[in-house]
Amino acid sequence: MIEDIIKAYNEAVYETDKDTAFEVVNGALAQGMSAEDIIFQVVIPAVEEMMSLIVKDPDANLAQHFMTAQIAAEVTEKMLLLFKFPPEIIGRVVIGTAAGDLHSLGKRIVMGCLKALMVEVIDLGVNVTAEKFVDAAVAHDAQVIGISAMMVHTAMGEHGCAEVRKLLKERGLEDKIKVIVGGAPYRYDAELYKNVGADTWANDGVSAGKVIVDLIKEVKSHVTA
Amino acid sequence: MAILIVHSHVGTRQFDITEGQNVRDALDTTDWRVRAACGGVGSCGACVVQVESGGVSPLTLSEYQRISADARAQGWRLSCQLRVYSDTHIHLEHLAHTSVWHSIPTADLMPSPCKFREIGEYHYGVAVDLGTTHLRVTLWNRKTGQRIASRKGLNPQERFGADVLNRLDAALVNTDTAQELSRLVRNAIMKALRDMLAREVGEIRLMLPEIGLITIVGNTAMLALLTGQGYSDLLNPDFWQARIDCQPIDYKKWQSQWLLPNAKIIVLPPIAGFVGSDLTADLLATQLCNGTQGAFLLDVGTNTEIVLWTGKTLLITSVPGGPAFEGVGIRNGMSAESGAIWNIEQNENGLTLETLNHEPARGFCGSGLVDAITILVSTKVLKPSGRFAQPNGGDGYALVEGNSRTVITGCDVDAFQRAKAAIAAAMETLLELANMTWCDIERLCMCGAFGRHLNIQNAQAIGLLPPISADKIELNADASLAGCELALLNENGLLLFDEITANAQTFNLSLIPDYEERYINHLLLKPIRAETAHD
Repeated sequence: MIEDIIKAYNEAVYETDKDTAFEVVNGALAQGMSAEDIIFQVVIPAVEEMMSLIVKDPDANLAQHFMTAQIAAEVTEKMLLLFKFPPEIIGRVVIGTAAGDLHSLGKRIVMGCLKALMVEVIDLGVNVTAEKFVDAAVAHDAQVIGISAMMVHTAMGEHGCAEVRKLLKERGLEDKIKVIVGGAPYRYDAELYKNVGADTWANDGVSAGKVIVDLIKEVKSHVTA
Repeated sequence: MAILIVHSHVGTRQFDITEGQNVRDALDTTDWRVRAACGGVGSCGACVVQVESGGVSPLTLSEYQRISADARAQGWRLSCQLRVYSDTHIHLEHLAHTSVWHSIPTADLMPSPCKFREIGEYHYGVAVDLGTTHLRVTLWNRKTGQRIASRKGLNPQERFGADVLNRLDAALVNTDTAQELSRLVRNAIMKALRDMLAREVGEIRLMLPEIGLITIVGNTAMLALLTGQGYSDLLNPDFWQARIDCQPIDYKKWQSQWLLPNAKIIVLPPIAGFVGSDLTADLLATQLCNGTQGAFLLDVGTNTEIVLWTGKTLLITSVPGGPAFEGVGIRNGMSAESGAIWNIEQNENGLTLETLNHEPARGFCGSGLVDAITILVSTKVLKPSGRFAQPNGGDGYALVEGNSRTVITGCDVDAFQRAKAAIAAAMETLLELANMTWCDIERLCMCGAFGRHLNIQNAQAIGLLPPISADKIELNADASLAGCELALLNENGLLLFDEITANAQTFNLSLIPDYEERYINHLLLKPIRAETAHD
């Protein structure tokens, strides 16, 4: 039974067919499967599968990334409401677009994947100041700050990632909080993330999910060690 | 429609010609223009051609006066007098010098909109629609309300980047570049004007002082770069919904450069950082705000501006994503020029691809891309997700087997999906803000060149246009120029522009949370659901 559900769910996600994905999930609930099992045995493996596919699949495009991330996020949100105990969160991320940047869609893919991977995401929205990024990360006890920038001047701007790095340094937070950047300018110049003071970057929103999970683990191991 | 086959020393080409149209008018819209100096009244004799065969009109009086009996016997004619009724071969010995300026086909211009009036001393005027890609310029006798000539050419700023951001960026980095960007457009306007005067009036120097008014509309970035005002604010999000002042400060300098001592220059003010005065011009020309019921206006250009008239107020927003419809970022994408696939029909024998000027296919213009993707979905080559049923490893799918110019790739489909989803989601968001549904929409005006050849049913099938009755959808490709002309001919033109936008509300969709979810839901290549406005 579980194999059929996984197969049907993966197919629906591959076709970016949200209605069918929900039909599969509702069918599984009706058959007595728990929300916890749906998340850990169906949804999370599907997200991980998607992450590994994206590297190999030249046909997968941005529109499909948006849709699959959205399905993952919506299904997860619905399932979380049905959890008997609050789920164990593996970490927290504050995310937003750099100062001066209003392109909010890129980070949406990241958020969708992270939610499904049980990472708590605090969305700061668009045009976020460096101060706000750092303050929010401290307030929410987040391990990672994610900064999206879609234009060269917001990626490289002095009030963007560079200032976040400066603040982290000044406040002695560099071991506790890591910074990841993403967006078109970083794809054109794979070294750019270093120049703006980020710890790492990701080529696309789906891969960013995995990179962030790794960063969280890194920070946590560092803090406990 | 007849075909005009033109033989010249550089080769042979064929052109569509409306039955009864004269050869000069037909060729003036192409880059094979005849020589001319009189505006097509048969008085200069510069436009001679030789008819080899075909069905044409009889000789006119001016041809008897201008062409010798011997030459007439050999088929020599004046192309401005020569009307074509069936497929015709002509020999054109002297092409006019190559020019970036072509006249705009009359069918593409909206009819003269004016209630003309007594206009002071200098009663000629010029209307300019300054687009990111193209400039459109018309010359008017404001006293008689007559459009003397029209010209269309490329915006020469293109060398600094096809998209607006690159040009703004270039201007910000270097003030010399900023001045160069302004100068390029001012020169282009001047050249278009002089080309019209030379060919349609036959007189430049004496005419220039007779020009009393120039009105200019455009998107905010173009107007800011033209006037050198406010372009630095455009990259700052705080100004996206604010008015940006772009009046030419160096008014006198422009007059003296253009040799137009008596011309008042009016740059019609943009509505906001991301909504230009070309949109106000659209609203004026389509009279969108005259109705009492709901109406949409879309201006698909480099950005797509979207307006909802609720019957009482205007809601305005703007989304990126136009370039896909102009061929930018599409492997075989191109603007609507010779050789562009503009229409695709499906029948029992397969597909029929129609290209502009019947030239061999060079690529797809926006309407051709809509048709291609619709057909790929309906034949199940492409899934509604935008994925090909048979993976092709990024090579894409050729509509005509073996013809690489007819290939559509996965990336093309992706760009198209994102562009159409942005438009559909923006329309739906405005409906939601106004507490309306698609049922309340009595009219939808498609402005911008993309709409000219659009197949409405196909655009609805893949969710670019909403499911409203096709007879409520109007295609008004040159509305922004027509609105600019209204301002040129109306005593209170500037006032009209201010009035129409006085109570307009502008929205920045990136600050409206529901927008993103709607956008993602509209990415599928499926019709827009009629009921989704109140989800």
